[in-house]
Amino acid sequence: MNEKDQHTDVLIIGAGIAGIEASLMLSKADRKVHLIEKTSYTGGTAIKFEEVFSNMECSTCMIAPRQQELLQDKNINLLTLAEVEEVKGSFGKFTVKIHKKARYVDMQNCIGCNACFEPCPVSLKNEFEEGLSERKAIYVPCAGALPNVPMIDTDHCLRFNGKDKDCKACQEACMFEAIDFNQKDEQLELKVGAIIAATGFNIFDSKKAPQYGYGKVDDVYTAIEFERLYASNGPTEGNIVLKSGDAPKSAAIIHCVGRDEKGYCSSVCCMYSLKFNHYLKSKIPEIKISEFYTDLCIPGKSHQKFYEKMKETEVDMIRATKIEVAKQGKEIAVKYNNGNGKKSNLPVDMVILAPAIEPRDDASKLAKILGISVDEYGFFKEENPDISSVVTSKPGVFIAGCSQGAKNIQDSVSQASASVGKALSLSK
Amino acid sequence: MERKIGVYICECGPNIAEKVDIDKVIDAVSSIDGVAVAEKYKLLCSADGKKFLEEQIKKQGLTHLVISACSPKDHEKTFMEVCENAGINPYLFQLANIREQCAWITDDKDEATKKAIRLTKAAVRRVRYHASLEKKEIESNPDVLVIGGGIAGIEASLQLTSPDRKVYLVEKAPSLGGLITNFEKTYPSMKPGSDSIKQKIQDVDKNKNIKVFTDSGVEEVLGFFGNFEVKVKNVTEEDETVEFNVGAVVLATGSTLFDPEKTPQYGYKKFDNVLTSLEFEKMNISGKISLKNGESPKSAAIIHCVGRDEKGYCSEICCMYSLKFVRYLMDKIPDVNVSNFYSDLCIPGKSHQKFYEQTKGKNVGFVRSSDVEVTKKGDKLGIQYKDENGSKNSISVDMVILAPAVEPTPDAPQLAEITNISQGDGGFFAEEHEKLGPVSTSTEGVYITGCAQGPKDIPSTIIQAEAASGKILSSLVPGRKIEPEVKTSHISESLCIGCKLCLSVCSYGAITFDEAKKISVVNEVICRGCGNCVAACPSGAASIKHFTFNQLYQELVEAVQ
Repeated sequence: MNEKDQHTDVLIIGAGIAGIEASLMLSKADRKVHLIEKTSYTGGTAIKFEEVFSNMECSTCMIAPRQQELLQDKNINLLTLAEVEEVKGSFGKFTVKIHKKARYVDMQNCIGCNACFEPCPVSLKNEFEEGLSERKAIYVPCAGALPNVPMIDTDHCLRFNGKDKDCKACQEACMFEAIDFNQKDEQLELKVGAIIAATGFNIFDSKKAPQYGYGKVDDVYTAIEFERLYASNGPTEGNIVLKSGDAPKSAAIIHCVGRDEKGYCSSVCCMYSLKFNHYLKSKIPEIKISEFYTDLCIPGKSHQKFYEKMKETEVDMIRATKIEVAKQGKEIAVKYNNGNGKKSNLPVDMVILAPAIEPRDDASKLAKILGISVDEYGFFKEENPDISSVVTSKPGVFIAGCSQGAKNIQDSVSQASASVGKALSLSK
Repeated sequence: MERKIGVYICECGPNIAEKVDIDKVIDAVSSIDGVAVAEKYKLLCSADGKKFLEEQIKKQGLTHLVISACSPKDHEKTFMEVCENAGINPYLFQLANIREQCAWITDDKDEATKKAIRLTKAAVRRVRYHASLEKKEIESNPDVLVIGGGIAGIEASLQLTSPDRKVYLVEKAPSLGGLITNFEKTYPSMKPGSDSIKQKIQDVDKNKNIKVFTDSGVEEVLGFFGNFEVKVKNVTEEDETVEFNVGAVVLATGSTLFDPEKTPQYGYKKFDNVLTSLEFEKMNISGKISLKNGESPKSAAIIHCVGRDEKGYCSEICCMYSLKFVRYLMDKIPDVNVSNFYSDLCIPGKSHQKFYEQTKGKNVGFVRSSDVEVTKKGDKLGIQYKDENGSKNSISVDMVILAPAVEPTPDAPQLAEITNISQGDGGFFAEEHEKLGPVSTSTEGVYITGCAQGPKDIPSTIIQAEAASGKILSSLVPGRKIEPEVKTSHISESLCIGCKLCLSVCSYGAITFDEAKKISVVNEVICRGCGNCVAACPSGAASIKHFTFNQLYQELVEAVQ
């Protein structure tokens, strides 16, 4: 291949922790990066967490400087609300078609003062907060989102969905002429040499495992919902409360939700469940916590130490099978078989489920566009893990983070760095 | 030279203008000596605002700039760029945050205005004492030292090498390959482990840009990112020391196994046919699994978590390789009975549970147990244990395989000292940041990979090797100069009393002691300006540029007046 014909720019799909790491590294190498993000914000799922194990560092404080660096980096072209539609060509010479949805708020003019939210007449459930709070039709997902520029949700905005074509409440509130109803979706064509897919994960829908009562019994939460309940920028400003408004006196954390259905261990649940124990104890010191697990999977040099520390808080670790969650009067009953096969029943106020990590809904669609394959679980498939877990069967297309398989932040960052290493070394 | 300070106050649309009486702020600062101009503007960060500032600096002949606007996190960089474009040093600028710290935190306009005046006056007073700081550029050497010739070191070397980048690969053993050469197969693919490493070793041998030193150890690494001086000593020929320069160092020194003799309950070295996992791998790759008497074992027990309590961590790989051992045994001795004694089955990762499901079978037992003990029972070995219910049980087997914890190599402390990095949990090399910097260390330019950083399997080891290579490929580009931190520490020669306290608190190894003068000296290329030495210095000799005692004092005096 003639070197002169090669494109040196790199396309990165997904502005979560892995995509950010890869972008910043490539920029440092003087590569131009096009970072494509489906949502309106950067940071991925990790910014939903208040603290991260095992050093309990504040997650947003950890990630925000990187997000800032990303936004100010002139080598990085961040395209939010954008998705890849087509990829043609080969390593060194890809042509990529991007569909970029209009935000209807000018990124340059908007200063992030949020004055446009209040006058908006629409109110609906905020997806970022797992539906635990409301948002407007013009909104940022949470305080501190970066870029701190709202978007208009055209499905619900009265002006766009036709219910009130003349509504311009947000525009009138904006002092910076940042709101532009005439923005149009864009079709972009990018020429890149390599592609890194770092599109993250979904969590297993707990309703598919009805024995845990999710969606039927009040005060049964998923891990991500619980993260938001504890988050200081979340719907309760970090107050852990029941539907009734009271603080729970007891809680059960149930590991391995969906493991049987998915057929793999999701690597991170034991550790974050132990972290939840800390969350609960730090807000409600007298709370009684029981963790229901099968095998404690806490690999790594620092994790057992964390577990020992969590045990000091007098959490009840119960090895259990056949767990069932049901309503029992005012409380929730957790029924289970313990190690001896004996049936037990524990009443609690709150249940937190640790659902499996699974591929994103659109993983196989994106895989098809990229020309890579997915494995039997639907994650992006590495060509051969003995050689490299970031290299796919398609030369020039690399994968990183949870889109390749369930993993923690450290391993996601490692894979992001590795994919950059591969991309740079193979194109040098 | 006469100071001409320009003060500009941003209205930030209504954000500041509605909450702070900006005219009062202007009044309060206009008369200060040295302030040549004080004005407001509707939005200074906008394209028009930046143009306005640039023109003002030039037109008014300003020497210093103060802006009262938003958080430095938002726009400090923006305005420093404006300074540069207008021809004044970007460090002769100060940003007062009157939005997040005044306008947005109260509805009381008077209070907000008062505080905005204080902060603006403080910035004006501080900026007088600012000094110009210049970016430096230094030459860098793109070559890399890789310590350890196992899978991690080999991967890193192959990925880093190019016609304009040399790699020096140092291995203490007589040949390359590391532990993986002992593995007949690797999980979960069960592909031959030794074959793939052989191919890679050939690739290293063929590569003219990789210089391999076997039977060798690194004696000394001095210097800093971009410019390290290395001494390598060949251990077979006593006096042969080779010296060369590199820009970065990769530690890929692997791990060793916990010595089961330290846990005598497992009978290791007391009874025949009790093997460690590595001994079993070596026996298996030799082609025959046999007992001391030459016969094939009819039954075997694999004991997980040997040394876990002593080490205090889960070694991550033992459950999976134990499952692999079951397969080795079933392959070579089809009717063998295998029992796994384990506490928790730790098989994270997408394909591992399937591997487990496929390994389970009628001759394969999994016993969740505690208090496991190995005894001699006639010709056989007895395994006594407590089961899940706490009742005592026992079985007898022909062979016992122990899965000992993964631990750092004995030379880890020495290597940490030579490369100026620290050891963290379990004695493994400490990463710069648990989450965001898994392969970087507190010493810029020194990277850690594979089991030297913590227990991990082959794919994760390879990932880290690739990650370290990525870090180096992106930051140490051949022909490109490196820009060290500008706001570095400085130790005054006349004030330093030579107590060396600063040396002990410096996280980056940036301070050395001049024995002749008996004073501490900062290497400004290594210093990252964290301020530890300044806080620790009892004599006031250490200071940080742009955050000098006087600058902070002047700012504070005005702010609290």
